[in-house]
Amino acid sequence: MAGDQDMFDAVVMADERFHGEGYLEGYEEGSSLGIIEGRRHGTLHGAKVGSEIGCYQGFAFAWRGLLHGCTTERDSKKMKVLEALIGMIQKFPYDDPTYDKLHEDLDRIRGKFKQLCSLLNVQPDFKISAEGSGLSF
Amino acid sequence: MSWVQAASLVQGPEEDGDVFDEEADESLLVQREWQSHMQRRVKEGYRDGIDAGKAVTLQQGFNQGYKEGAEVIINYGQLRGTLSALLSWCHLHDDSSALVSKINNLLDAVGQCEDYVLRHLRSVTSQPHVVDLLDSLQDMDLSHVAPAEEKIDEAKDERFCENNAEFNKNCSKNLSQVDCSSLECCRAQEHERPENPSLTWILEQTASLVKQLGVSIDILQHLKQL
Repeated sequence: MAGDQDMFDAVVMADERFHGEGYLEGYEEGSSLGIIEGRRHGTLHGAKVGSEIGCYQGFAFAWRGLLHGCTTERDSKKMKVLEALIGMIQKFPYDDPTYDKLHEDLDRIRGKFKQLCSLLNVQPDFKISAEGSGLSF
Repeated sequence: MSWVQAASLVQGPEEDGDVFDEEADESLLVQREWQSHMQRRVKEGYRDGIDAGKAVTLQQGFNQGYKEGAEVIINYGQLRGTLSALLSWCHLHDDSSALVSKINNLLDAVGQCEDYVLRHLRSVTSQPHVVDLLDSLQDMDLSHVAPAEEKIDEAKDERFCENNAEFNKNCSKNLSQVDCSSLECCRAQEHERPENPSLTWILEQTASLVKQLGVSIDILQHLKQL
C-alpha cells in the first residue's frame, strides 16, 4: 500500500513538475513579449501626443517670434493668448501616460490653440501624419 | 518513479512483430500515453506562463514606449508647427505662391520623416526574444529525475533589462543610420551627415525660407535641439 501511495505521489508530482517547467519557460517568454507588445502600443500613443503637442508648441514659438515688436492692442491680446498656450504646454507632462489629468489638460491646450488661431485669423493647415493627431477644423 | 524508468527501457518491438506480444504492446502504449499527457501538461504550463508573464510586463512596456515615442516625435511636431506658422504668415501677407508651395513641400517632407521614424521605432521593438518551445520539449527527457535547474533568479531580470537597453541602443543606432533615400524629398540630396539627412535638409530649407520672408532667424531658435 505504501508503494502504491508513493506511486500516486510520483504521478501527481510529475504532472505538476511538467506543468511547472512549461510555466517557467512560458513566464520568461511572456514577460519578454509583454514588454515588446506594450512598447509597440505605447510608442504609437506617445508619438501621437508628442506630435500634436509639438505642433502647437512649434506654432506658438514661431508666432511669438513673428509678432515680436508688434505693439497694437490686438497684438498684445494675441501675445497674451500665445504666452498662455506656451505656458500650458510647458507644464504638460507629455511623456507620462500615467498622468491623471492627461485628457483634461490636452483638451484645454487644444481649446487655447483654437482661440489663438481665431485671434491670429489663421486657418491652420497642419499636415496630419498617417496616425492622425486629432486635429481637424 | 522507477516504474517509468523501467517502462522507458522497454524496447518496443517493431509494430509488425508485436501482434502476439501483448505485454510489450501494452507497456509501449502506456509509455506513449504518458509522454503525450506530459507534453500536453508542459504546453498548458507554457501557455499559462506566457499569459502570466505578459500581464506583468505589458503596462511597463507601454509606459516605456510611450515616453520614447513622445520624446522622439515631439521634435518633428515642433518642426511641423513652425512650418505651419510660416505658412499662415505667408497667407496673411499675401506672399508669393512659390513660397507657399515650398512650405507645403517641406510640411509633406516632415510628415514623411515622422512616419518613417515612428515605423522604425515600432519595428525595432517587435523582434521577439526567442525561446523555442519545441526544442525545449524535445530536449526534455521524460525519464529525467534530477531536479529542474533553478530558473527564476535575478540574473534573468538583469537580462531583460540588458535586452531592453540593447533594444534602445539598436534603436538609436538605427535611427542615426536611417537611410532616407527612399523618401522623395531626399532623391536630389546628398547625404551630408549620417544622422537623419533629410531632417537636416528640411531645417536648412526652413532657415533659407525664413530669410526669404524677411523674418528674423531667431524664430527658429526653439528648433535648435533637433
